[in-house]
Amino acid sequence: MASHDPEARLSHLQSADGSATFSHAGYTVVGAVNGPIEVQRRDELPEEAVVDVIVRPAAGVGGTRERHLESLLQSTLRQIILINNFPRTLIQVTLQVTVSPENEYVNAKLSQAATNLPILPTLIQTALLALLSAAIPLTATVTAAVLAIVADDGASTIIVDPTAREIQVSRSLHVFAFTSRDELLLNESEGEFTMQEWDNAFATAQRQCCPAPTSDDVDMEGGSQADLKNFTRSTLETKTASDLYWK
Amino acid sequence: MATDSEMVFVLPGDGIDASLIPTHPKRPLRLGPGLRHIPPSTIVPTIAGQLVTDHKKNSLWVEYNGGRYIPAVGDLVIGQVDRSAADFYYVALSDYSSNASLPQLAFEMATKKTRPNLATGALVYARVSLANRHMDPELECVNSSTGKADGLGPLVGGMLYSISLGMARRLLMRKSVEEGRVVVLEELGALGLAFETAVGRNGKMWVNSEDTKTVLIVGRAVKETDEGNLTVDQQKKLVRKLVKEMS
Repeated sequence: MASHDPEARLSHLQSADGSATFSHAGYTVVGAVNGPIEVQRRDELPEEAVVDVIVRPAAGVGGTRERHLESLLQSTLRQIILINNFPRTLIQVTLQVTVSPENEYVNAKLSQAATNLPILPTLIQTALLALLSAAIPLTATVTAAVLAIVADDGASTIIVDPTAREIQVSRSLHVFAFTSRDELLLNESEGEFTMQEWDNAFATAQRQCCPAPTSDDVDMEGGSQADLKNFTRSTLETKTASDLYWK
Repeated sequence: MATDSEMVFVLPGDGIDASLIPTHPKRPLRLGPGLRHIPPSTIVPTIAGQLVTDHKKNSLWVEYNGGRYIPAVGDLVIGQVDRSAADFYYVALSDYSSNASLPQLAFEMATKKTRPNLATGALVYARVSLANRHMDPELECVNSSTGKADGLGPLVGGMLYSISLGMARRLLMRKSVEEGRVVVLEELGALGLAFETAVGRNGKMWVNSEDTKTVLIVGRAVKETDEGNLTVDQQKKLVRKLVKEMS
């Protein structure tokens, strides 16, 4: 019950160069990618492409929280997009959250520190699928995971893909993103934790995001969590097969 | 085509099995779209798609459909004149991309005194003569070695349709019926419709005919084939249906 199976639709928006809708862990995000397109003179970089990320929340207009997510996504995506291939252009990634877990906005005003991190893996995954759909050259794909550390009578347990309730009672929250070559790409942590706890969280995330290359289908019974790396592969494989049906 | 029968799917950053890289005693290895060479001897895919090996030509590329048109030298494209300057026309190849330049003297029989007069919005069928990531692309409407137009030049009348890049590639194949599996145009012609078309690699198709109805039918037939992923038999059925509706 921890997480629903991830779902995705690719290239369903007509006027964008690439698009994807991705649902995972209670979130649904619609992503669109346009690029490489002409960039405004003042933003132009002479040697590489500008990556512009726009995050729009499910309700209301974006604020500080969205700007923070945009900056995290922008620096992550710049690492995997081959920005040197398209100097003086713009690659625009727009992410619209359409569904978020119910109590995300409850008491948002009260607890000022309403956390930004839980949605990050879904946003990263949507951006990746939209970039692949737009055929933007990438160095690698990326997989992300969110983990909560819950204190339990002195002993701490790590929960992968925690629910909103589990996040509320957690002591700390961690987001990790890895490339398909198992390199760490993004590391964001919130709350109180020891170095030992971080090490444990890192190891768990690594197991989650970089599953050892086993024969297919074996992982189905093993982990209760969705294997996003294989999910990306199978989604794109289906899309390519239908695009090249005439081959 | 000398391709492998089984489909090899790749994601950005995947390793390529050495057996898939063609070896030829004399010819140098040629890398097509979607691949990146990291010296000294690593080849990495940069987009998601099907890896195709051509042993005869000793080349390797990734076949995909989607994204924005990126100009490459030798491509035939349909552009729309954006504005004209003293010596150049500035031509739009796709929306929001930077304009390509088309010298006013790069037409058949053009001299300083007799040059074609193209207004804003006029369509031209042209070949990409210079494409480089650091510069805007350049076009020509004349074969520079023979001075002949070879069918290039302004497109007068008719109607422009947008199609996917993959469809444009299939229509432009030398043997579009056998290799690309598109038969709509041949079928329409066989049923007695008289029309002319021009296909641009940038995802544009221009159709002209004496009869407006024919223009609409041809455009619809190709667009439906493209969007519906129609097989050869379905295309034949569609053509019969459309022609019946017309009369």
